[in-house]
Amino acid sequence: MDQILFALLNGTIYGLLLFMVSAGLTLIFGMMGVLNFAHASFYMLGAYFAYTLQPLTGFWLAIILAPILVMGVGILVERFILRHVHEHGHAHELLVTFGLSVVIAEMIKMVYGKFAVDYRVPAELNFAAFSLSGIDYPFYRLFMGGIAVVMFIAIYLLLTKTRVGIVVRSAIYRPQMVEALGHNVPMVFMGVFGIGAALAGLAGAVAGAFYTTNPNMALELGVMVFVVVVVGGLGSMGGAMAASLLIGITNSLAVGSDFRIADILTWIGMGGWAEEIGGLLTMRMSSLAATLPFFIMLLVLVLRPSGLMGEKE
Amino acid sequence: MGFQKFARGTAAMALVMGATAAAQAEPLKIALVETLSGPQASTGLLYRDAVKYQIGKINEAGGFGGEPIELLEFDNQGGPVGAADRVRAAISEGADVILQGSSSAVAGQVTEDVRKYNLRNAGNEVLYINLGGEAMELTGSKCHYYHFRTSPNAAIRVNTLLDGMSEAGVLGDNVYAMNQNYSWGVDVQDNTVAAADRLGFTVVEQTLHDVNKIQDFSPYVQRVQAAGADTVITGNWSNDLLLLMKASSGAGLDVRFGTAFLDQPGNIGNAGAVAEGHYLSAPFNPEVNPEETAVFMEDYKSVTGHYPSYVEPATVFGMMLLQEALKQVEPTEDGLNAADLAAALENATAETPMGSISMRDADHQAVLPMIVQEVSTEAQYKADDTQFGFVPIKVISAADAEQPVQDSCQMKRPG
Repeated sequence: MDQILFALLNGTIYGLLLFMVSAGLTLIFGMMGVLNFAHASFYMLGAYFAYTLQPLTGFWLAIILAPILVMGVGILVERFILRHVHEHGHAHELLVTFGLSVVIAEMIKMVYGKFAVDYRVPAELNFAAFSLSGIDYPFYRLFMGGIAVVMFIAIYLLLTKTRVGIVVRSAIYRPQMVEALGHNVPMVFMGVFGIGAALAGLAGAVAGAFYTTNPNMALELGVMVFVVVVVGGLGSMGGAMAASLLIGITNSLAVGSDFRIADILTWIGMGGWAEEIGGLLTMRMSSLAATLPFFIMLLVLVLRPSGLMGEKE
Repeated sequence: MGFQKFARGTAAMALVMGATAAAQAEPLKIALVETLSGPQASTGLLYRDAVKYQIGKINEAGGFGGEPIELLEFDNQGGPVGAADRVRAAISEGADVILQGSSSAVAGQVTEDVRKYNLRNAGNEVLYINLGGEAMELTGSKCHYYHFRTSPNAAIRVNTLLDGMSEAGVLGDNVYAMNQNYSWGVDVQDNTVAAADRLGFTVVEQTLHDVNKIQDFSPYVQRVQAAGADTVITGNWSNDLLLLMKASSGAGLDVRFGTAFLDQPGNIGNAGAVAEGHYLSAPFNPEVNPEETAVFMEDYKSVTGHYPSYVEPATVFGMMLLQEALKQVEPTEDGLNAADLAAALENATAETPMGSISMRDADHQAVLPMIVQEVSTEAQYKADDTQFGFVPIKVISAADAEQPVQDSCQMKRPG
């Protein structure tokens, strides 16, 4: 029982981390129609900025300042790169952001070196929140989960309950009308892009200390973030949350399971045959855990191409 | 990129000049086919530093046939496909020896390509010196006369590690084998299980997981805890090792890690105190034979700008074997006869700061001393500017570290 409880908790927290990064991506896509390949690079920038600031300002100020810096980078990218490319269509935007992700990764390597840096959880946060059947549960994991939940609620309220949210949402559907009403639509887009980048930066600043801060971190998480956004439905905040949790929890449960397809076949008397064939049939679920998200994505794309909560197009 | 252009340019020049000028003893060309760009480049660049260092030494001592050896560099971009392409390019640019080290997957491709090339071009063979692909198959089912491995292999790593930890009384009764799901990880797992009876421990569970895809290792740590393991033996490298150790420490788990690659730069810096008390078996430690080793450490630093670590020392030692073999070979009119070099390298012996290392002719696996070491604050040379470093707890001589030749190696010898 404790085992399953731990697996669920681990999965939920990992899911929430995935949400923190994918929230910005899906926000930007939903608002601007830009599929931002460089999004995971903002996550990496957040971690490196916080690592740089930490000795100067302390941990708390660092995780607040780092996302603001990343927001600045995001705004510059939107203002001086994306806006010029926008008129050429989505393919160009895609290529520009892809190129940008490569440039950012190489610049990080030039400045900080090729190996992981020693960005760690500060000592005052490095303690066990509780202990269950011999395993400590790090407080910092709960802290990361908490930040993700606060982030979700804040974005949701901002978009649905405030005037800013109304302007932003209307700017997506009827940009010309909103402009005619005297709102500065390019400014709105720039703001959305900046906020999206800042969210990824915050995730990086917080998670970089817990996992590792290295020049490959964008690459490692980037693929998973795209899976989350596709499964959840491009542009849907609630969908991103649902997909993150789904992927986090299935992954965590799969690791703990020794289930094999051959075991099912044993029930119908074909166990011996399955053992003989081997291959995929006798592969343990635990060795396939990291592949499951892609399987889920495949299923969703086949059964419901717009994603779990995406709007039908 | 600039270098490749340059290399191509010079190759084209050489073609033109070769057509006009009379045949003159050509310099020996050695090609390093490594991962020099992309996410895994950090290790490839270390191989390059070490190879450059020792080739510099060979050239200072007169090179080969009175000419300095020329080192060509090719970027395989981390994958077998890129490597296959770059090996072809290296051969067409006249390389007689191919060097490669990071990733057993790439090594598997290179060794097959070299074997096939040699079959089709008898009399014009090239040598492949494997500096670090440690999967067993490379000196087992895939072994051939022109492949030489100068690094340890999975059997040597795991058995020396287990011996050392067992002797120090830190192995415990329950061992968990956690490895990456590809040739190298599977080999580490198999060798761990095979040693269980000999050393009297139980392998409580074995897990193979995806390579470099997992961010969150806490579910795996939970399995380790549920299995009641005292020690985790793992061949994991890079992030898969770091994240596993961090997750384990975060969960307050009281297990020791026995590893093969804990000395990769950045690991100790990132893990900090989390790494303390964990073990490593590697072909080098700066505190063994301190007098000679200190000279090597300082000289390496003066040339490359950093102390040798991780794959660098073993690479330098491997190149020393090559140097010894080259001394036995007479240059021919068109440079070098690779068959002569292979025959000399088969029985080469070199004196390194760690002791004498040699090549075994039966399967072309290097026989070398291994050092079991512990992460501790007592270390003389600290890693990554931290207070931690590696303290040797047992030096295992080359003879004791040696593992039997695999039955699967059916080496066809020329003639």
